[in-house]
Amino acid sequence: MGMEWAWLLPAVCTGAFVVVAALGRWLPGRGSLLAIGAIGTAFVLFWFVMADVVGNGPGSFSRAWFDSGDLTVRLGMRVDKLAIVMLGLVSAVSLAVQVYSLRYMRGDPRFGWYFALHSLFAASMLALVLADNLLVFYITWELVGLGSYLLIGFWWERRSASEAAKKAFITTRIGDVALLIGILVLFKATGTFELSQIFAMAQAGEISQTTINLSTVLIFIGAAGKSAQFPFHVWLPDAMEGPTPVSALIHAATMVAAGVYLVARMAPLFVLAPGVLDLVAFIGLTTVFIGAALAMVQTDIKRILAYSTISQLGFMMLALGSLGFTAAIFHLLAHGFFKALLFLGAGSIIHAMHERQDIREMGGLRSRLPATWVAFVIAGLALAGIFPLSGFFSKDDVLFSVLDNRGVVWFAAGLIGSVLTALYVARLLYLVFLGEPRSQAAREAREAPLGMTLPVMALMAPAAGLGLLALAWGDYDGFGSFLVFLPFGSRPFEFHGAVFWPSLALAFSAFLMGLSMYRQTGGVAPALVRRRIPWLLTALDNKLYLDHVYQWTVDHVVLVGSRLVALFDRAVVNDAGVDATGRATRWSGLVLRYHETGLVSTYMLTIAVTAMVIVLIVITTG
Amino acid sequence: MIELEYVLFLSAVLFSLGLFGVLARRNAVMILLAIELMLNAVNINLVAFTVYLSPDLLVGIIFAIFIITVAAAELALALAIVLRLYRTRSSVNVDEVNLMRW
Amino acid sequence: MSPLLAIYIVVSVMAVAGGLGTVLARNVVYASLFLLLSLLSVAGIYVLLFSPFLALVQVLIYGGAIIIVVLFALMLTRQGDETGSLDSPQKPLAAVAGLAALGVLIATIVVNKWPPSVDPEPVGFEKLGATLFTQWAVPFEIASVLLLVALIGAIVIARPEDSQ
Repeated sequence: MGMEWAWLLPAVCTGAFVVVAALGRWLPGRGSLLAIGAIGTAFVLFWFVMADVVGNGPGSFSRAWFDSGDLTVRLGMRVDKLAIVMLGLVSAVSLAVQVYSLRYMRGDPRFGWYFALHSLFAASMLALVLADNLLVFYITWELVGLGSYLLIGFWWERRSASEAAKKAFITTRIGDVALLIGILVLFKATGTFELSQIFAMAQAGEISQTTINLSTVLIFIGAAGKSAQFPFHVWLPDAMEGPTPVSALIHAATMVAAGVYLVARMAPLFVLAPGVLDLVAFIGLTTVFIGAALAMVQTDIKRILAYSTISQLGFMMLALGSLGFTAAIFHLLAHGFFKALLFLGAGSIIHAMHERQDIREMGGLRSRLPATWVAFVIAGLALAGIFPLSGFFSKDDVLFSVLDNRGVVWFAAGLIGSVLTALYVARLLYLVFLGEPRSQAAREAREAPLGMTLPVMALMAPAAGLGLLALAWGDYDGFGSFLVFLPFGSRPFEFHGAVFWPSLALAFSAFLMGLSMYRQTGGVAPALVRRRIPWLLTALDNKLYLDHVYQWTVDHVVLVGSRLVALFDRAVVNDAGVDATGRATRWSGLVLRYHETGLVSTYMLTIAVTAMVIVLIVITTG
Repeated sequence: MIELEYVLFLSAVLFSLGLFGVLARRNAVMILLAIELMLNAVNINLVAFTVYLSPDLLVGIIFAIFIITVAAAELALALAIVLRLYRTRSSVNVDEVNLMRW
Repeated sequence: MSPLLAIYIVVSVMAVAGGLGTVLARNVVYASLFLLLSLLSVAGIYVLLFSPFLALVQVLIYGGAIIIVVLFALMLTRQGDETGSLDSPQKPLAAVAGLAALGVLIATIVVNKWPPSVDPEPVGFEKLGATLFTQWAVPFEIASVLLLVALIGAIVIARPEDSQ
């Protein structure tokens, strides 16, 4: 069992999807056990593949898929350390989430279909990270989007859920179109979809700078759509209409990370386009602030986590734009685990609160939900970047690469971002778990059953201890040397005083400040802000009016344009094209039918004359 | 010596006569007779080509045999149809059978 | 002019005369007898073209079978002698078409460069039989099935309705 078998990971999940979707209702557990077995198998296989890759280096495997003229498209996978990191994250979190769902989704009328969709998503995501070819990549990218759409709209009877699914799909589609155009621009310039060939040509200077800039910008727009970067972030909070485990897996840990993964995968191209990297970093930083600011004012526990996810994805983009590819992937990995943990914890809370998600009704849950409280504290402190949890190491790495390649101003901005993070974590923890219960449901909440707390506990370990991966121990040289992006060498993790002390001190003090602030006021927004700058609060409550802008655009630009197109369709295509053709046919038929005399002799005469004309043509021309 | 062209001329004359007969008659049986004439013209051509141009292959003669076979089958069916027609309409004139028109 | 050519011309004239009679005769029985004359002359042509087997087939099937069937059909569809013309109103047009066809065919014959003819030699029964039953065995069988089908079909079509 080596890395050439890596294709089995998506393959078993695809098989599980097909079987569960087709035969689920006759299987034990309506197919859920089969789906979990498949993702469990994938998780076990992951260790074999990883052992092989770590021991023998990366490998590429492909076979011809189809020929089209001179072009041979190959179906292949590239098993390298970047793919390994993602494989581990996806399979581990998928496994935990599916086990959690077993209990969480119990009694749902479409229980089996839910697990089939999870298998589909896992298969697509695993195939996506293995793709070595932009065409395969794009197909799986769309499949992942499809899985996300179906799972957001899983409870489609609820209007808000189906609306959210459509919003997510359409918003990411905008990015996907850009990505497709970017891929085609690259294909036009290189004549191939193979990543390795494209990179080789780019490094050899065979692709013009304009093409590189254009394609990377387009690819980044695709990544921004999937990773919910400003201005495409609006779909992610609405996506929380899906079941909470779905949010944990897709809208926190894996799918939204696909954009970050895409940029990291295309790193050899992006490093050749410094201007685009500036854009990536700028968008990332903007997203950090927007996400964190909006997370401060939300009252729905899942939406707080969603905006936090947006903000953290902004951190990853910021790192990518600052040449910190390894840091971005490490933050992706750490974030995937602790954010999945937060969402699963939120699922337990919502379960205990009888489907109430408003944190204004919570409070004092610490004693009622002790296990969830521990999980939330660990994951929340990791999110805030408190030593020695995983988030601290990854965020430090991100901030260090910003300081290293972007300078002090950007670094300071990043620090402010992490301060905001600590603040909203403090707010979340305080309002949910501390203080007095603010509703009957909160007073009577009971800890989730073991089937749900077990996966939560299993995720605690990586959320807390993943930071150890950053350090060197034994033969292992630390994550900075494990995952190396050419043309950069290995960069082992160090405790840089310039990053370590300010970030830790600021995060810690901001966290404590937030706790005390909320303890004093007990409200959902700091009284200070409410008194001094009410307009900011209003703006944040309205999500910075972005949804309004988009709605206006749809109403006044898209719909007007659609009406014009519809008019054209009606007048030109339908009336002048289709109907006129029909009328002409009808009219000519009315005239020509008189040839049909019904008399054999007439027909025979026609045949004879026609045959003679043909013979005449042949002998005169031939 | 009989030249190939002589035979072809004969065949052309017979074929044209048959065509004229098919077009000029209204009695179904007469049309069938004219068709037989045309078929025979074709057969003469085939035989002539085989004998004069590729005597080893015999394809034309074998084709002629098959054509005679098919002509016999066709005539049998056609006459059956004519009988049927006569029984229902008391006439075998094709210009009285014109239901299949506009 | 060789005697063979003389015979050929005589036989050809008979064939054409028979054909003319077939298409011009005012009586159906005469027309079929004229056709018989034409068909027998064609059999003579086959003899002159060194294809005695085909001549035999022609005489047997056309002279012996087909004309008899036609005469039977004529008897069964006899409708009195006052049924009017045998010809269709488009007869002048048919004459034009027939002459045009003749012109086109002769033009084709004249325009074409025919390959040099070989000296004709008789086609032996043995050789013909061997070819027909080896190389052409499958089409031969198909033709016999076709005949059978046509036979059954003719019976079904011609059978009186009340006997169904």
